[in-house]
Amino acid sequence: MKVYLDNNATTRIAPEVLDAMLPFLTEKFGNPSSFHSFGSDLMEDIEEAREKVAALLGAHAEEIVFTSGGTESDNMALTSAITINPLKPGLVTSAIEHPAVLETAEHIKSKGHPVRLSEVNSNGTLNMDSLESCISEQTGLVSIMMANNETGVIMPVEEAACLAHKAGALFHTDAVQAVSKIPVDVRSSGIDMLSISAHKLHGPKGVGAFFIRKGIEIPPFMLGGHQENGMRAGTYNTAGIVGLGVAASLAVRHLSEENGRTGLLLEMLESGILEKCPGAVIVGADAARLPNTATVLFRGVESEAVMTFLDIEGICVSSGSACSTGEESPSYVLAAMGIDTVDANTALRFSLSRYSTAREIDYVLEVLPPIIEKLKEISPYVNR
Amino acid sequence: MWKYSKKLMDHFMNPRNSGQLLNPDCHSEVGSPQCGDAMTLDIQVDDEDRIAEIRFMTFGCAGAIAAASALTEIAKGKTLEEALTISNDQIVEFLGGMPEEKYHCSVMGHEALSLAIADFRHRRDNTAEHLSSILREMPPGLAEALENRSLGIEHIHPLRIRVRLSGGDEEIVTAVLEDELQKRTGKKVKVRVTR
Repeated sequence: MKVYLDNNATTRIAPEVLDAMLPFLTEKFGNPSSFHSFGSDLMEDIEEAREKVAALLGAHAEEIVFTSGGTESDNMALTSAITINPLKPGLVTSAIEHPAVLETAEHIKSKGHPVRLSEVNSNGTLNMDSLESCISEQTGLVSIMMANNETGVIMPVEEAACLAHKAGALFHTDAVQAVSKIPVDVRSSGIDMLSISAHKLHGPKGVGAFFIRKGIEIPPFMLGGHQENGMRAGTYNTAGIVGLGVAASLAVRHLSEENGRTGLLLEMLESGILEKCPGAVIVGADAARLPNTATVLFRGVESEAVMTFLDIEGICVSSGSACSTGEESPSYVLAAMGIDTVDANTALRFSLSRYSTAREIDYVLEVLPPIIEKLKEISPYVNR
Repeated sequence: MWKYSKKLMDHFMNPRNSGQLLNPDCHSEVGSPQCGDAMTLDIQVDDEDRIAEIRFMTFGCAGAIAAASALTEIAKGKTLEEALTISNDQIVEFLGGMPEEKYHCSVMGHEALSLAIADFRHRRDNTAEHLSSILREMPPGLAEALENRSLGIEHIHPLRIRVRLSGGDEEIVTAVLEDELQKRTGKKVKVRVTR
């Protein structure tokens, strides 16, 4: 049995999405920017997709810019927005952002911009006092993720946006993990810019979008063409964009129709693990989390060893262990929450999707506990 | 997933010599504070200085567990001197290769083994020192039992010694030595006498 519980890494393409994309990979291969109608007719499909993405975010279509994915959107938001007001060169973000934000922030810092990182609480939520103390008159941009990819903990972006605006700064959110899993409304949340990625919501890889509130002008990020009103040059990824549009529409539908189903499966998984694996700890258990994500510490048992066993049984999950990622130290997200290296190396992330089934969860709950038990028996941390 | 050999996967899924020994002659604990891996080794050494029993515990990935298992298999039956020459390459080769990124996983076993052997030697030296001070001080009961005959040391293990007597009262010599060693080392050291 194959059980895919690594949906925060990527998701399967919805069949409806693939069907919608195929014509644009075959006969409708024209360039939407061409003069001839064989190409330019495709602009209608692009605009239709834009409407759909806007609808998912509560935005206007003209506020959506298509990009190559979440990473580009994050790069674009930070590097472009940080330059617009020389009197406010400062960037404030958090210690647990995705590397697309953190490494861009590091780059911005190397260019001479003051960059400050807000701390998080031990349950993975944003430390609002820390965020407030990071923001100053100098701050031009605040970027806080909507939900964390490792823990699924949801950040109070409305409050963060409020703090940013109070200081006259713009507010960006990396919503790559949150969009399609929880309702997002850029208007009521005070969000100025937002990043999304298609492949996290059953769309194709290599395409994403960037929301930028009407009235905010930022310099283009990619140069070399007039596409997207000059905001983002490059030939349209027609099939990808169409796919993202359909994925966005499906997400809207599933958010209202299926509300709670994934959450129930996650609850079933979590309570089953807690019951059958004594000592297991759910990270951020008391925080508001995405209904699809659970990171669990199986204390005393190294997570890559568990993943290797699970892989043999056909179960796909992920871990932030140092060994499996080839990094020198385990997850910086868990470290920022005060979880020590040894415990961080025991963390496994289960991330569900709307395609997950109760049968799959049952299978995991059958296969996983004996693996944990077996590894506990030879663990020097358990038997000390 | 890493590309692991069949043999490595076998040692990961069915680790040899895992666990702890009830009364190990020596023990070591090593850890990599950087990546968080940790390992313990328990060893029993026979009177020929060979590794008679060896058990490991590992907190680490499949590579680390398999490397520890392989190490114990290679080390078992070897003299301490021979065991010290076991190299990481030997462990990797035994497992039919290992992804390069995982080589560092085999290092921990090597370190644990040298520490355990050092622990053994330290304990043995401790017993040897106490034995020689007993012989130097020559408590009255022992001098009497020896009846001016010589006592030679044949083998020293932290918890077992073998001495050779050219005469005297074997039973009393054994009893006095065991009693004195227990007083000084705080442990029951078994004494065997040969003629």
